Amino acid sequence: MLSKAPKLTNYLVLKINMMIFIFIIFALFLSISIFISRNKLVNYFSVSLFSIALFALTIYSYIHINQFDSIYYKFDALGVLLTAVLSLLSLFSFYHSYLYLKRKSNNLKQKAQYYSTLILFITAMISAYFAENLALLWVCIEATSLFVSILIFHSRTKDALEATWKYLFISSVGLAIAFIGILFLSIVASQNGVNNLNFTNLIQAAQNMDILWVKIAFVLILTGLSVKISIFPLYAVAIDAKTIAATPVNALMSTALVNVGFVGIYRMYLIVAQTTTLIWAQHVLMLVGVLSILIATIQLTRVRRFKRLLAFSSMEHMGIVTIGLAIGGVGVYAAILHLIFHSFVKAGMFFQLGAIRNHFKSIWIKDTGNYFKINPLGAIALLLGVISILAIPPSGLFVSELLVFKALFFKNYLIAILVLILLSIIIYIIIKRFAHLLYADVADDLLNKEAQINPYENISQFILFGLVIYLGVNPPLFFTDLIHAAIAILN
Amino acid sequence: MTYLFIILYAITLIYFALSERVKKFVWLLCMQGFMLFGIVFFSLHKIEIFDFIFILTETILVKSLIVPWFLNKVRKHNQLKRIQETSVPVFFSIIVVVLSLIFSFFLSNFLNSNQIHTKYFTVAFASIIFGIYFIIIHKNIFSHVVGYLIIENGTFLLSLAVGSVMPMMVNLAILLDVLMGVLVLGVFINRIGDAFESTKIDQLSSLKD
Repeated sequence: MLSKAPKLTNYLVLKINMMIFIFIIFALFLSISIFISRNKLVNYFSVSLFSIALFALTIYSYIHINQFDSIYYKFDALGVLLTAVLSLLSLFSFYHSYLYLKRKSNNLKQKAQYYSTLILFITAMISAYFAENLALLWVCIEATSLFVSILIFHSRTKDALEATWKYLFISSVGLAIAFIGILFLSIVASQNGVNNLNFTNLIQAAQNMDILWVKIAFVLILTGLSVKISIFPLYAVAIDAKTIAATPVNALMSTALVNVGFVGIYRMYLIVAQTTTLIWAQHVLMLVGVLSILIATIQLTRVRRFKRLLAFSSMEHMGIVTIGLAIGGVGVYAAILHLIFHSFVKAGMFFQLGAIRNHFKSIWIKDTGNYFKINPLGAIALLLGVISILAIPPSGLFVSELLVFKALFFKNYLIAILVLILLSIIIYIIIKRFAHLLYADVADDLLNKEAQINPYENISQFILFGLVIYLGVNPPLFFTDLIHAAIAILN
Repeated sequence: MTYLFIILYAITLIYFALSERVKKFVWLLCMQGFMLFGIVFFSLHKIEIFDFIFILTETILVKSLIVPWFLNKVRKHNQLKRIQETSVPVFFSIIVVVLSLIFSFFLSNFLNSNQIHTKYFTVAFASIIFGIYFIIIHKNIFSHVVGYLIIENGTFLLSLAVGSVMPMMVNLAILLDVLMGVLVLGVFINRIGDAFESTKIDQLSSLKD
C-alpha cells in the first residue's frame, strides 16, 4: 500500500496541475447547458456556479502563485491580480445583466445566448491572463474577439450590426498584425534555441536576441493589441463597439478586456526589458500614450453620448497606463495600480449608466437631466464615480496618477506639462457633461415614467468606488506585494 | 517545384490587382489555396507526419475548397458581380504589387538571417502588404474579407519563411482563419446585405456623434 502512495500523489498533482483546463471544461459545460436548455432556472443556477468557480480559481491561483499549471499556464502575480478583479466584476456584471435583460426582452433564446456567450467571454479572458505561451495568448485574445462580437450584436439592430462588423474585422486584421510580430519573435527565439514561445524561456533568452527583430515584433504586437487596450492606433472600433454594447458587457469590455490587451503588451515589455532596446521601446510607448490622450481629448469635445464619453475616458486612462510603462521603475508600479483602479471605477460607471438608461428614453447627453431629483441614491453613486474617474482625492486613481506624474517630472519629461493640460481639458468636459445629467432641466416627454427605482442596483457601484478609495488610501500588504511581484522581473 | 508554386502564388497577386469581378476574387483565393498546398507538400515533408497531414488537409480542404465555396455562397446571396468602387486605376494597383514584391525581396536580403527562407519571405511579405492595400482601395465589405484572406495567406507563408519548427502555430492560425475570417465575417456580410440592402462600406457610418 505504501509503495502505491507516491504514485497516487503524483496522479493527484498531475490532475490538479491542470486546474485552468478543468475550469475551461467546466465553463464550456455550463455555457452549453444554458444554450441548450433555454430555461431561466438553469441560467441562474449555471451563472451562480460559474461565479463560485471563478472565485475558487482566484483563491487557488493566489495560493499557488508563481507555479505552472500545465506547460501552457502559469499563476503569475499579474494574472492573479487581474483574475481577482475580473471575478468581482463578473459577479456584478451577471447581476446587472439580469436587470438589463429583464427590462429589455422576454425572449428566452436571446437570454440563453447572452449568458452562454458571457461565460465563454469571461473564460477566454481568464485563459489569456494566465497564458504562459505567446501563441496561446494570441489564440485566447482571438477568442475574446469572437465572443465579445456576439455580445455586441445582442440587440440585433442595424447599429449593432455595424459596430459588430467593424469590431470583428479590425480586430481580426489587428490580431493578424500581432501574429506577424509573434512570428518575427519566433525567428530570434529559435536562433537562441527556444522553440516553444513560453514567456519564461523568451525572457531568459531575450538578452541574446537580435535587436532588430525584437523591435519589429514589439511594434507589430503593440499595434495589433491596441484594438484590445483601446489606445492609438487601432482604438476607433473599440469605441464604436462600446457605444452599442449593453452596459454590463461594456463594464467588462472597458475593463477586463482592456486588461487582456495590457497583459499582452506587458509580457512583450518584459521580454524587451531584458534587451538593450528597452529605451527605444519606452520612447515608442511614450509616443503612443501621449497620442492616445491627445486623441481622447479631441474626441471628448465632440461626444454626444454617455457611452462614447466613458469609452474615450478609458482611452485617456490607458494612455496614462502606457506612459507609466514608458517611464519604467515606479511608473510600471503606478501603471498596474492605475489599471486595477480604472477597472473598478469604469465598471461602476457603466453599471450606473445602465440604471440611468432606465429612467430616460435616450442615452444622448442632451436628452437627459435632473437625475439628482429622479434618483437621488443613483445620483450620489454617479457623483462618487465622476470624482473617482477624474482622479480627484480620495480616489485611488489620484494616487496612481500622482505616481506617474512624479516619475515623469523626476525623469525630466517636459511632455508631462502637455499631458497635464490635456487632462485639465478632459476634467472640464466630463464635469460639464455629467453636471448636465445631474442638474439640467429635462422635458417630461424624454423621461421613462414607467421606470422604477431599484436601490439595490447601486450597491455594486458603492462597493467598487469604495474599494478604489480604500485601496488608494490604505492598500493592504498582500495587494502591494502582488504588484511588486508582478514587476519584480524588471528590477 | 516549390519555386514554381511560389511564383504562381505571386502571379495570383498580380491577377488580384487586375481583376474587377468578385467571382474572380473567389477563384483566385481558391488558386492561392492550391499553391499553398503545393508549397507545403514539397517543402514541409520533414516535419512530424501528423502535423504534415493536418496542414496538407487544411490547405486543400479549407483554403482551396471550403473557404471559396462559402464565399461564393455569400457572393450569390448578396448578388455581387462587379466591384466598381475602387478609386485607384488597375494600372496603379499592378505597380503596387510589383513594388511590394521588389521591396520584400530587398528586405529579405537586407535581413540576411539564417532563420529566414528568402524564397517564402519575399512573396509572404508582398502578400501581406498587398492585402492591406487591397482593403484600403476597396469600399465593399466583401472585398475587405478577400483582402483579409490575402493577408492571412501571406501570414501562413511567413510562418513557413521563419522556419517550420512551430507547426502548431500554423495549424492554429489556419483554424482561426476559418472561424473568424470566413465563417463569422461571411455570416455578418449576409446580415449587413439583408439589413442595409448593400455591402458598401459607406452605409456603415451611423455610429459617429
